[in-house]
Amino acid sequence: MAKDRRQEILLGNQALGRGLVEAGVQVMTAYPGTPSSEILPAVAAFGRERAHPPYCEWSVNEKVAVEVALAAAYTGQRTACAMKQVGLNVALDPVMSAAYIGVIGGMILISADDPGPHSSQTEQDSRLLAHFAKLPVLDPDSPAMARDLVAPAYRLSERFQIPVMIRPTLRVCHGRQAIRLREPKEVQRPAVFVKDPFRWAAIPKMRLALHQGLNAKLEAIAAWVSANKSLNLWRAPARPKARLGILASGVAAALARDVLAELGQPVQEGAIPFLQIAMPYPLPLGPVQELLASCGRVLVLEETEPVLELLSPQRDRLWGRGSGHVPSAGELTPDVLGGVLERALQEARVRVPRPRGKLLSVPDQPPLRRPNLCPGCSHRAVFYALRRALPDGVYPSDIGCYTLGLNQGAVDTCHDMGAAITFASSLSRVFQRDGRQVPVVATIGDSTFYHSGAAGLVNAVYNGAAFVLVILDNETTSMTGMQPTPESGLTADGHPGRAVNLRALVQGCGVEWIQEIDPYDLALTRRTLRKAWRQARGGSVAVIIARHACAAQRPAEAMPVRRPVQVKGSAPVVKAVFDGRQHPCIDCGRCLAICPAGALSRRRKGLIQVDAAKCTGCRLCAEVCPSHTMALEPAGACVGCGLCLSWFACPALKPDALGRVRVDRAWCVDCGLCVEVCAHGAIAPQEAGS
Amino acid sequence: MKARDWQAVVAGVGGQGVLFVTKVLAAAAQAQGRPLLISEVHGMAQRGGAVVSHLKVGRFQGPLVAAGRADLLLALDPGEAVRNLAFLAPGAALVVNAPDLGFLSPQARAALAQHQVRAVCADASGLAAAAGAAKGANLVLLGAAAAAQALPWSAGALAKALGAGQPSPRRALNQRLLELGRAAV
Repeated sequence: MAKDRRQEILLGNQALGRGLVEAGVQVMTAYPGTPSSEILPAVAAFGRERAHPPYCEWSVNEKVAVEVALAAAYTGQRTACAMKQVGLNVALDPVMSAAYIGVIGGMILISADDPGPHSSQTEQDSRLLAHFAKLPVLDPDSPAMARDLVAPAYRLSERFQIPVMIRPTLRVCHGRQAIRLREPKEVQRPAVFVKDPFRWAAIPKMRLALHQGLNAKLEAIAAWVSANKSLNLWRAPARPKARLGILASGVAAALARDVLAELGQPVQEGAIPFLQIAMPYPLPLGPVQELLASCGRVLVLEETEPVLELLSPQRDRLWGRGSGHVPSAGELTPDVLGGVLERALQEARVRVPRPRGKLLSVPDQPPLRRPNLCPGCSHRAVFYALRRALPDGVYPSDIGCYTLGLNQGAVDTCHDMGAAITFASSLSRVFQRDGRQVPVVATIGDSTFYHSGAAGLVNAVYNGAAFVLVILDNETTSMTGMQPTPESGLTADGHPGRAVNLRALVQGCGVEWIQEIDPYDLALTRRTLRKAWRQARGGSVAVIIARHACAAQRPAEAMPVRRPVQVKGSAPVVKAVFDGRQHPCIDCGRCLAICPAGALSRRRKGLIQVDAAKCTGCRLCAEVCPSHTMALEPAGACVGCGLCLSWFACPALKPDALGRVRVDRAWCVDCGLCVEVCAHGAIAPQEAGS
Repeated sequence: MKARDWQAVVAGVGGQGVLFVTKVLAAAAQAQGRPLLISEVHGMAQRGGAVVSHLKVGRFQGPLVAAGRADLLLALDPGEAVRNLAFLAPGAALVVNAPDLGFLSPQARAALAQHQVRAVCADASGLAAAAGAAKGANLVLLGAAAAAQALPWSAGALAKALGAGQPSPRRALNQRLLELGRAAV
């Protein structure tokens, strides 16, 4: 018998990892993504307590991760696979078939949802995809419940030979709770692949029989779970003829109990029958019918889509998203639940002994804080160089830290992993068909490129697209917590890996023009971007690999030389001047393209008008003008134009009350990059001793 | 005596050590054998955005604090104090990293008084920087909170929770930072 061990405060994702190790997981795969990223490292760390630690891998994407875990489960091993909810979309193809074909060893698929959303593109509910794929799904309400569901999930998976999904939400993943650790189980099943082509390689004709078998399985699972104590349902004593009951799952169920207690109607006292479902699909109907029989109305609380609500019988007696009692978007926070519950209790004429009181409210506005790239981040340098070098371009980008290039006006699209490249190939095509030469420059991180960039790049090369691709290569997966990429050759659990060379991969995709640069050299970066576009517009894809260490992960490598800077005082506001009489305009259009304020317009050939109300005096027009027609002397001090704030957007550069920029020493890391940004020469290296 | 349920919100900006402070509070609660739940923020918001974590000690099931229910708002940044004021329960404590409440409008100060909020101000950033440990403002503020009896534990219990598992030079610095906060109120 497993003996109880020490108690530890664990993050929900660590609790899931602990549960997997305790239940004897043998093969663990994942692709990082908030809020799921800490699960696999926890499996690798806790796994070392076992004589036979599990094999752990960061797979290159979620589809690959599912397939690796699935094939191992075919051989009878216990496997698991973790990802964030949008990763499940990438993995959906193998997941769909996995339900039909099933497994021998238990397989747990963890898909972490993000109601809010806090760190994702969508608020999608993985339980709906489990339903779509016909996989059982478990919905924990806390780190402790998440850990406790793992072992029963394996029993369910192996008993019915079907992968089981666990769907934690962000508040489970990034919640913390004290958990009493159990002895890890040593599972040492040999991998036995029993040839069974009618199952493992089933052709469409056989899939019908598999589908029929799956349907029967799901019915049996619902019945088994109704009677199974380890996949227990949390319930308050049912009171016959209650006016209102509650049907809930996940974090919403846990929070609703807290809110009800705060409203003076604690669930334990039994005035409000409360049924929490651990397995929303296939829904165990018995307990739901019991609840419905004992209450007038039933309020359904779940995140983020109506799953219990749509699978329940007697939907006309439910209050939820269909009836408008529960909002159809956003997280069910205690405040949202407070409003929902107060309304439902009032409408059902149930007493609210302690309604929510008046909140402290003040007229003061909190500061606007946007997430931003770290000070010293080399991505910032690339985005700044991009705006300077190809100011009239269109910039599709992708998913990662560098999405924050938004702050610099250098990210025009952000859709799904890999879409920077496919969007760029499409945009360049449609502009070209209209006879226009618009520089299209895609940016994508190294990890995202390995994840799903290469296929889009092969497609673009093959079909003759014409754009520039910048791979922002910091040799790590920064946003999600510095997981290694294939380029590093490091593996999740330290098993021997082999580095996959990025340049060789790009070459293998058919790209002929590749330049590797260090974006800390801003002048070189600008030159290379222009060179790349000259190359690409002829009808090919030009690739720049911008390689620099991540300033958060390896600051010493990223900034080997500290270059402290200062802002050299303040100067009055200035405006650009069109000086066509002394220096005739050659009509090149560069000033029009670069002006960040939209202050310049072409009145006729050779005449540019400056709208003084719009002009910020940033001096970019004067700097790019080859004929000295646009005139503005560098002030040698800050004129308050704000160019560095908008195009460089470093958290260490801040405006004072008069709009003049100062360096915030609490944020500055002395990377020195901003010196090259100010066209007035106001940002300068600190003099020695100053 | 049955220990009281207690809820706190810790707020700040990415990089200030919001998660660390929350973990220290949790360790103190755990040392007393109290059940606890934390909710924290990872990912994109950590990149210089507003960071907030919730801690609930006692018979709770969900990890988030409702508006108007927090016994303590510990704000490592005055702007983040403003953002999270609505969490404060009547009579709760606001402990903020600021020399005084000058960062609030007169109307806001009046609203705090009417809500019977006990405000504790300490220039934790200034004190930490003067001690040569700019990153330690979070612990200075925690020391101030303990000294002002805004925590359900004594300063000693907090110091013990903080010291556990730390190498001794680190432990000495941490104790000094807590002490700076204690002396500031």
